[in-house]
Amino acid sequence: MLKKMAFSFPDEVLEHVFSFIQSDKDRNAVSMVCKSWYEIERWCRRKVFVGNCYAVSPRMVIRRFPEFRSIELKGKPHFADFNLVPDGWGGYVFPWIAEMAGAYPWLEEIRLKRMVVTDESLELIAKSFKNFKVLVLSSCEGFSTDGLAAIAASCKNLKELDLRDCEVDDLSAHWLSHFPETYTSLVSLNISCLGSDEASFSALERLVRRCTNLKTLRLNRAVPLDKIANILRHAPQLVEFGTGTYTADVRPDVYSDLAGVFSSCKELKSLSGFWDVIPDYLPAIYPVCSKLTSLNLSYATIQSPDLIKLVSHCPNLQRLLVLDYIEDSGLEVLASSCKDLQELRVFPSDPFGAEPNVSLTEQGLVAVSLGCPKLQSVLYFCRRMSNEALVTIARSRPNFTRFRLCIIEPKTADYLTLEPLDVGFGAIVQYCKDLRRLSLSGLLTDRVFEYIGTYAKKLEMLSVAFAGDSDLGLHHVLSGCESLRKLEIRDCPFGDKALLANAAKLETMRSLWMSSCAVSFAACKLLGQKMPRLNVEVIDERGPPDSRPENCPVDKLYIYRSIAGPRFDMPPFVWTMDEDSGLRLS
Amino acid sequence: MELQLGLALPPPPLIPIETFDLNSYGNYETREALGTNALSWPLLKLGPADNDINNIHHHNSSSSSSSSGGGAGCKKRSFDEAPFFDEKRNVPKTLHLLLWTNQPNDEDDDPSNVLHENSSSAIFKNDGEGLVGWPPVKTWRKKVHHQIPNGGTENNRLPAVENGIGGRASKSTYVKVKMEGVPIARKIDLSVHHSFEGLTNTLMRMFGISDGNRKSFKLTYQDREGDWLLAEDVPWRTFIRSLKCLKLIRSRG
Repeated sequence: MLKKMAFSFPDEVLEHVFSFIQSDKDRNAVSMVCKSWYEIERWCRRKVFVGNCYAVSPRMVIRRFPEFRSIELKGKPHFADFNLVPDGWGGYVFPWIAEMAGAYPWLEEIRLKRMVVTDESLELIAKSFKNFKVLVLSSCEGFSTDGLAAIAASCKNLKELDLRDCEVDDLSAHWLSHFPETYTSLVSLNISCLGSDEASFSALERLVRRCTNLKTLRLNRAVPLDKIANILRHAPQLVEFGTGTYTADVRPDVYSDLAGVFSSCKELKSLSGFWDVIPDYLPAIYPVCSKLTSLNLSYATIQSPDLIKLVSHCPNLQRLLVLDYIEDSGLEVLASSCKDLQELRVFPSDPFGAEPNVSLTEQGLVAVSLGCPKLQSVLYFCRRMSNEALVTIARSRPNFTRFRLCIIEPKTADYLTLEPLDVGFGAIVQYCKDLRRLSLSGLLTDRVFEYIGTYAKKLEMLSVAFAGDSDLGLHHVLSGCESLRKLEIRDCPFGDKALLANAAKLETMRSLWMSSCAVSFAACKLLGQKMPRLNVEVIDERGPPDSRPENCPVDKLYIYRSIAGPRFDMPPFVWTMDEDSGLRLS
Repeated sequence: MELQLGLALPPPPLIPIETFDLNSYGNYETREALGTNALSWPLLKLGPADNDINNIHHHNSSSSSSSSGGGAGCKKRSFDEAPFFDEKRNVPKTLHLLLWTNQPNDEDDDPSNVLHENSSSAIFKNDGEGLVGWPPVKTWRKKVHHQIPNGGTENNRLPAVENGIGGRASKSTYVKVKMEGVPIARKIDLSVHHSFEGLTNTLMRMFGISDGNRKSFKLTYQDREGDWLLAEDVPWRTFIRSLKCLKLIRSRG
């Protein structure tokens, strides 16, 4: 009886129901229920997420989802952020733009991460999509301000232009003037990554003045302090603001201007920027501190006492990014003042110094874990750690979902006992049952991987460096971590055996990166031959892998599942292993 | 998501539990093979009783042997729980490309030996510049820190590698360095160096050249036009602006 009713729902009803389902995972589940649900769902999916641009071809996406309005694509592996992926590896967005330009004049949103975007791509976007609204480029490169000018000139309905952490060829700041005077729809602008010695302040000011819906504005370093006041004055409705650079000398008129203007920003919740800030200017922002939920001070080179003063004014802080100048003492104050804290990132001020330059140790992290009940995401750089501290952290904060610890010197042991940190990280995975992301560091044996394989059942992403003793370590992770999607490994003694014994596991993951490990060329070939739905890429700048004996380890290995087959845009130092000869040159 | 995109037909049915042959599935086999040898490391005890982290007890002694997941049956997934496991995986029928054994290192080519030949994985103590991408800090953050007056070193202004006062230069600051006679090139981050002295010191350490032998090496570089020049013949700023890659050669005479 019930069965009959389900089949008699008209498609429009189902479509309406599906429209409330936004999450990708849920949408995918819906499409697996039955043939007719698959069909209905694919016609009404409006947002498409492709976690690896090489896992599928643009044509396949377009064929399956004929009416999407928004696409998110990711390109290079995460380790590209740290220069481990050579330039020219890939991740070009142009083929996607080209296909979509033909198929979708109504595309509205494009979000890209770690992709190569050319001016040509930007110009094509500007030309092809009449209702284009959102462009978010995160850690992308390959374009210049000319491409941005094209977007500014043509996209009349643009709401969001966000260039976070991009590498942009700064040819001219005048691209901003390409926004026509009639253009007023900007809601979010993030140009913090741009350089430009000469910035078009007047164009920026005029833009801010006429876009009354502007909620997010993140300026770049070129905008000096006195200009900031002028800009903010016209945008008291801002919710998120990133300052430009501060001047070296404190001028009372500039200061009072700034203080006045900040007090009129009643909606401000997030602040960032603060390049070259000097402590004397900080009180100017005190009026907004009590409402702040997000504060990014990771470029602010101010010392602990000033940081403490600032942070104590922000009781509602949920997210803090800061340099290790905050020191343990500052983190203790944070722990007692900011009970709503959910995310903390502490970056190293002197990452290459052998000796610590600040008094920041594991104690700071312990303090915050004990004091902040809502803390769930941490990225922490420090120079020493102990199992005892990690166990304390794990037990007091079992709600961690992201835990990334970087002990700066590789293979650093527990400073109290001189033992490996296996037990400490083991406690983290044991107590934090919802842990989705983990980055390891310090001295670690295969044992830590056994803990991870046993306990980290919800773990989706794991980053490993200079750890482990043998293939057993890798085997524990691949065979135990059921939810694993991304695994990135560098400088570990993991070889062929664990990889080949867990070959099937790789098809259930998005990708595996291994560099400076011990996987032989022969094993790569075997994997490539036997696993047609995996792309096995060998990246080696030393030359063709077959110019060395087969049992030689490859320099870098990137394995990802794909239904698009091997790609054809590889540079000379990347080889794909496939069924044919086991070796295909680009 | 990616795997489902190629479907024109409804997805294949999930493998029913009855036909799922656990014995042919490499992963399960490996779990079994691990047995008690590999799991002889004590696992953490849960609960408030475990106050002393140094006092970790074996789980092996208290586990039941009914679970085929190996001797230490603490939290290992038993095969009775297989349905939960099946839902997530579309398990291919053939797949172990290698049978797992207890002795991963019983082969001739011990991975750790092989690693020494691959010098990019060798770790140099206190030689941060020798390790690419470590610590894992994004490029523009590194540059910011070196402009810090407080924590910085001798010369806090970056060389011409930076572009204006922007957040990031448009080119990576890493260049390749080769040494004559050494097949494997290294990479060095130029933004942390401000003089030939500092650069040379780093290079000597990177390639393990002692102070006494320093004199027998010369630093050369290849400029944008492809010509090889002696580094010390030009001023530092010119060198930084035009160099593409470096090479240490043995000086003759």
